[in-house]
Amino acid sequence: MAAVGTITAPAGRTDALSRARQRAALVPDLLVEAQRIVASVITGWHGRRKRGAGENFWQFRPYSEGEAMARIDWRRSARDEHTYVRDNEWEAAHTVWLWADPSASMLYKSVHATVSKESRALVLTLALAELLSRSGERIAWPGLSDPVAARNGAERLAARLTHATELPAQPPLDMIRRFSDCVIVSDFLDPVEETMARLAPLAERGVRAHLIEVADRAEETFPYAGRTEFRDPETGQRLTAGRAETFAADYSALYMARREELARWARRLGWSFTVNHTDELASHALVQVHMALSEPAGFRGAH
Amino acid sequence: MFGLPLAFAAPAVLAGLVALPVIWWLLRMTPPRPREEVFAPLKILARVLKPEETPHQSPWWLTLLRLIMAALLIFALAGPVWNPQQPVAAQGKSVAILLDNGWASAPGWEDRVAAARALIDTAGDSNARIFLSLTAEKPNTPAGPFDAAAALDRLAAATPRPVPGDRAAHAAALATALAGETGISLALLTDGMALPGDEQAFATLSALQPVFVALARPDNGQLMAISTTANGASSLDVTLIRPEGLAASSIARLAALDSRGRRIAEADAVFAPGADSTTAAFAVPFELRNDFAAVFVEGQRQAGSTHVMDDNQRRRRVGLLAASDADSAQPLLSPLFYIRRALGEFADIIEPQKQELADAIAELIEQKPAIIVMADIGVIPDEAREALTAWVEGGGLLVRFAGPRMAAAPEGDDLLPVRLRTGERALGGTLSWTEPQPVTSLPDTGGFAGLPAPRDVTVERQVLAEPDPDIVERTWAALGDGTPLVTGAARGRGTLVLFHVTPEATWSSLPISGSFVEMLRRIVQVSRNQGVLAARTAGQAAQPVPPYRMIGADGALTAPPPDARPLDVAAGEPAVTLDNPPGLYGSAEGVVAHNLLKADARLTPMATPQFGVPVSALAYGTDTSLKLKGPLLAAALVLLGLDSLIMLWMSGALTRRRAMASATGLFALALVAGAMPDARAQSAGDDAKPGDAEALRAISQTRIAYVVTGNAGIDSVSRAGLAGLTRFLIEKTALEPAEPAGIDVSSDELSFYPLIYWPVDPATDMPDAATLARVDAYMKNGGTVLFDTRDALSAGFGGASPANQRLRDMLSAMNVPPLEPVPPDHVLTKSFFILTAFPGRYDSSPLWVAASLEASNDGSRPVRTGDGVSPILITGNDMAGAWAIGGDGQYILPTVPNNPLQRTYALRAGVNIMMYMLTGNYKADQVHIPALLERLGQ
Repeated sequence: MAAVGTITAPAGRTDALSRARQRAALVPDLLVEAQRIVASVITGWHGRRKRGAGENFWQFRPYSEGEAMARIDWRRSARDEHTYVRDNEWEAAHTVWLWADPSASMLYKSVHATVSKESRALVLTLALAELLSRSGERIAWPGLSDPVAARNGAERLAARLTHATELPAQPPLDMIRRFSDCVIVSDFLDPVEETMARLAPLAERGVRAHLIEVADRAEETFPYAGRTEFRDPETGQRLTAGRAETFAADYSALYMARREELARWARRLGWSFTVNHTDELASHALVQVHMALSEPAGFRGAH
Repeated sequence: MFGLPLAFAAPAVLAGLVALPVIWWLLRMTPPRPREEVFAPLKILARVLKPEETPHQSPWWLTLLRLIMAALLIFALAGPVWNPQQPVAAQGKSVAILLDNGWASAPGWEDRVAAARALIDTAGDSNARIFLSLTAEKPNTPAGPFDAAAALDRLAAATPRPVPGDRAAHAAALATALAGETGISLALLTDGMALPGDEQAFATLSALQPVFVALARPDNGQLMAISTTANGASSLDVTLIRPEGLAASSIARLAALDSRGRRIAEADAVFAPGADSTTAAFAVPFELRNDFAAVFVEGQRQAGSTHVMDDNQRRRRVGLLAASDADSAQPLLSPLFYIRRALGEFADIIEPQKQELADAIAELIEQKPAIIVMADIGVIPDEAREALTAWVEGGGLLVRFAGPRMAAAPEGDDLLPVRLRTGERALGGTLSWTEPQPVTSLPDTGGFAGLPAPRDVTVERQVLAEPDPDIVERTWAALGDGTPLVTGAARGRGTLVLFHVTPEATWSSLPISGSFVEMLRRIVQVSRNQGVLAARTAGQAAQPVPPYRMIGADGALTAPPPDARPLDVAAGEPAVTLDNPPGLYGSAEGVVAHNLLKADARLTPMATPQFGVPVSALAYGTDTSLKLKGPLLAAALVLLGLDSLIMLWMSGALTRRRAMASATGLFALALVAGAMPDARAQSAGDDAKPGDAEALRAISQTRIAYVVTGNAGIDSVSRAGLAGLTRFLIEKTALEPAEPAGIDVSSDELSFYPLIYWPVDPATDMPDAATLARVDAYMKNGGTVLFDTRDALSAGFGGASPANQRLRDMLSAMNVPPLEPVPPDHVLTKSFFILTAFPGRYDSSPLWVAASLEASNDGSRPVRTGDGVSPILITGNDMAGAWAIGGDGQYILPTVPNNPLQRTYALRAGVNIMMYMLTGNYKADQVHIPALLERLGQ
């Protein structure tokens, strides 16, 4: 009987050269796929990318029900019988930091999923990079590259990733300044307290973060049964369960509680929290994150 | 062992039971191996999973199951036997074994061999000299001495034989071989049946002064054999015998096979308690009984239970003879017409070719018929009378019919069952007061006993028998006034039968009644075929007949063994020997049955012989012993499967449906694979033959064919012409033929093409007779050939041109119907275009078609009626020349005279011909549609 989960790439992190080569072989494919996904996103939202968080006037548009009253431009509305909202142009000099978790647990891929979590995370990151580069944003990878605005930002990022010999297990967040956005793609399997402690400085600095949890379906539903020995890909720790199916309910409850707590915390800070399963399409998460990114910063308090 | 009737073939293996505790310890120590899984969120899992919870030991009942499995395996390998056979210890320095391998030993032969092998084994252990004699083998087979290995080899080669054994001869041979030996142990492994010469055999053996005698007799309670068969009036009666002195009743099922081994009938027989013979009746129609080649008792599997039948059980040959055959144009008046029709169903009819009566009779007798029917023959020539008398006395059945000639014949004909008065009696005429007499009785003493009297049959005229004293018992059918209508009498081994009326319906209505058929059928049934091989009896002495189908020792019909020799049928009833094993001798044309048991055979159990020492009984022992190895291994296998299922369940695989399905599927597959000894995939039948591709190409589209003459110029014009016609057809009609096909009439299949265009070229070779026969067959089967002599320009002046002469030569070898030029109301003129002429490049030659002789046209119709399509069309107008187009679509050859309209008419003629080919006379009916519609409207 085949095992449910596998590790897609060898976990030999010390072998820098082979790791770099595998990364080099992987990234161009991901880039292409990222561009394909982005194409569908842009086509669907045509014309909106110019409106968003910024300070310059972009357009008046009729007020639609449900929008925050604070956004109504009363001066314009007083001139006729309609109510108008004032849209500002997207801030051109916006900086978005992108980071994907490179840890060994991300290499996990179950039989239900089409790709490993790491692959999905890279796809999402590069897709966002492509998307933002086209919009003229400045993108950066903490610890790897400085913010840069270029049409080929995604390619540059991919090139940097290809040549990076060793990536830090946790992002160096101290260089992220205020009014920036930060996209963190990870499986967030560490204890919630640790994750929150690590990300709390961002909130203190006023950075808006977008957390994308890449999850494998097997981690959620725990489809194991019978006598099973579990191994942690990061630490190599082993656990043997006599009848694994008896733990499914307890485990799922813990797993989901972790996610809930993290999501609640992120929402409280005004951050977005998105879950993407590796057996779903990457574009789902991409659309959600893109929506969260394009929300104006001043809009955040209404939620 | 342990007071139980249990023995082990290899008791040493039982020592393996000592290892069971070790196995138990090992099983306890080894938990099932866990499945290994990578799991990223292990930290979360670690909070719910307590490591010390996992069990490390199998449950006790699983251990017990495996221990039982191991114990079963050890027991099975030790080869346990329940009720083991106790071998008789042969004593002495020489062991003599007399083993019956006659036909009765075939059931249970393995047991006999096993008993003999046990004896040889024990004798070999004590280094005794072994003598072995098989009673059905030839007496000169060496009987020993052998060592144990040689004796076992001979035993392994021995098979039961489908012949009776000869104990006397083999006892003598054994005594010769044993001469000078002392301390003889004698083992008689018999089949339990008495044989002639038994007393002599046992006396011979007793004279050897054996120190130990063992006698084995099987239980022959189920043995049955067929002694004889008799073909009765309504059934085939099979006499079954069984060993005498059996008190129980038993039931046998018999089946009949035809000559190709198909089972065509079944019958049951019941032995009453104490009875040693019974009869089974195959109550099936006579025609079916004719096909019986063998009957056998089911489940017997020995040669005595199969009985083969030869021509004496088959259809009778009936010779027909009449003084004058009437005009063949009036068959109903032929004297033999009704006899032929009545007998044809169930007898083979032979008729003489020679006209002279004496020669005709001699010719008939040469063919050895069972019956000769003579219709109204008054005087039989003397030389034929002698032959005929000899034939009747040899078993022939002569049926004579009366008539004017017989009535006028002088008295004293001895080939009649009764004496006749000269002249006939008329009943119910203008000069008579009497009425026509009905047939009222068919006496039980006559040959028609049991048939219903045909009261509807009336007799107006008959010949009368002299009222002799025995007239009553010779009467087979009588009229209402008591006068005999059919009389019969035995003569030698044969029979004479006289119908006192004519075989045609002039004197009575008997020949046209159903009773006539029944009477003749009854007569045929009581007759016997004379001679066995019609083919080889023509003037030759009886030759030995070669073996054809032999009865094997298991009762099945097989090919002859190599040592079977031809059967000498001339020497009375030949004996059943290894040279002449039972079976059918002859060939597919005719066979002689050579059966194992004679009609009066009885199965007598063997008497217990008396020797100087006590005779110890020997059982064919493996009957009661039961080898337990197989069941034990099977039980172990079942437990193994159970254990596998438990393992699957414990590892959690059964909780997933897909896994369960695949696991049970695999398990079932393993079971099936184990149960099926040899499953071989049969390759799908591939019945493609060479030439299929050409045939498919020819028939997938309609094609017009032309004959390749070999003259390149003519052939290219033919091809271009048919291409032009094809193009014209596609343009003008719904018919879209494919490219024309050039065919070689001597080899290509013609039937694919509706029309063959044949340009007659006198310069090429004349087609041979076989080719013309092919063309003739093609025309007869619905094809049409368009002959084109292409000589209308040159042959205008009466004399036959070379092409015309060649065509005449060709047609002279075929069945050509009468021809006529196309009449103006022929359907050819209207099948598509309305035409008056059929020009080609020339327009002077008419188009000839088969004359429609029976076609009628009273002038009011536009088209004559008539069925069929003319199989032949002849023209001299070089039609292909007019149709021919080049690659650019232009016409190649000019018309003569050069008239564009003539070319159009030529093409239209081609269209009409093609439509005529494909639609037949449909257009002839089609022209009446207005009239039909008008009639329907009213």
